[in-house]
Amino acid sequence: MKPKSDKMKLNERSVVHYATCDSPADKTGHLYKKGERNTAYHRRWFVLKGNMLFYFEDKESKEPIGVIVLEGCTVELCESMEEYAFAVKFSCAKSRTYKMAAESQASMESWVKALSRASFDYMRLVVHELEKQLEEMQTLHSLPGTAHSHRKSSGRAKSKSISAAAPAVVTPAKEPQATYNRSHEETVHFTPTSKENGVAWDKPNLVVNGLCPTYQGSKTLPGKSCSNEGAKPPPVPPRRKTATGGVTSTLESPVSPGTVCFSKLHDWYGKEIAALRTQWQQDQ
Amino acid sequence: MRFNEKELLCISKQPSEKAAELGMRGPKKGDVVKRRLVKLVINFLFYFRTDDEEPAGALLLEQCKVEKEEPTAFSVAFLDESEKKYLFECESSEQCQEWVESLTRASYESMRRSLIFYRSEIHKLTGKVSYLLFVLLFFF
Repeated sequence: MKPKSDKMKLNERSVVHYATCDSPADKTGHLYKKGERNTAYHRRWFVLKGNMLFYFEDKESKEPIGVIVLEGCTVELCESMEEYAFAVKFSCAKSRTYKMAAESQASMESWVKALSRASFDYMRLVVHELEKQLEEMQTLHSLPGTAHSHRKSSGRAKSKSISAAAPAVVTPAKEPQATYNRSHEETVHFTPTSKENGVAWDKPNLVVNGLCPTYQGSKTLPGKSCSNEGAKPPPVPPRRKTATGGVTSTLESPVSPGTVCFSKLHDWYGKEIAALRTQWQQDQ
Repeated sequence: MRFNEKELLCISKQPSEKAAELGMRGPKKGDVVKRRLVKLVINFLFYFRTDDEEPAGALLLEQCKVEKEEPTAFSVAFLDESEKKYLFECESSEQCQEWVESLTRASYESMRRSLIFYRSEIHKLTGKVSYLLFVLLFFF
């Protein structure tokens, strides 16, 4: 039986590594944090990665002083002697409220927004919504023989059917060919949308009607492994590669060219429109 | 490094995606296999001694590598010390496979990649649809 006084172990060294490695931070910046025992506010350097809020003595520190696991927290503005103050609260019994203060109104708003969305559950919800959105779009706009309906053969390959009623959901997580020792070291760089401290990446608002407004896509996203071994693209599902392993051209059929080659797309649509026109004229 | 243990304890009591009693061996030399209740909640893997209410420990599943080691065993290693592996022994290869799949997807970083991927796919599709509409308008 574990004595109640034993503190729970955490893989601290690896967590510290996570805090300090090159994986993208959702937000970084200076904040004042109220001490646990003494009531003074201390200026700390904060790094938000996912649902973990690390704080360092200063920007140059090699290791964080501590981390706040943000899952299940609520972020509130609070009445305080300090300007631009807010609090991170938890619903579990006897939990500590973290009182913080930003250095400006804009910074405070930005942090409150980022911390409110920092939970794993929220991210999971967003991913799920996008997955559903994609499914819906693929059903509605399913074009014959699109590349999306092809799966790399693993015993359940579909033939290149022209049927428009065969939407396939693109789910990278269920990739049957995924090598399960694929490390999590591949990280992704993306154009930062918020500029505080030059760090990445606005989490999307849940958009129900369609496009994700903050998307700044590019066809290839350069990635960087955590050990700085050079740029690597993120793991794109294998079905997007040609037989020769090229990444840029997608699977093509005579009916539905890959979307990368614009002129082919133009030709193909042109033919389809011509066919539609003929049919329309016949129907008159 | 300080961390908010109370909140982590709270998380460990939430419903889990996956929980099972497995054989678990730590990464250090001399560690032996012990029966533990292993519980996956969000991006943490908690492990409990049998009959304990509170976990003995937790592993944050970021920057880690999950590998099948044997038909019925898998390992979790962290990238800063990738030779040091936590080993987990399962009852069957199906169970092992399920755990490997679940844990591979369990990180925040992995979800981030999925998110980027879906947005990219949606963007491609909407790009396609917009073009079709444009051409339709042009011809009619």
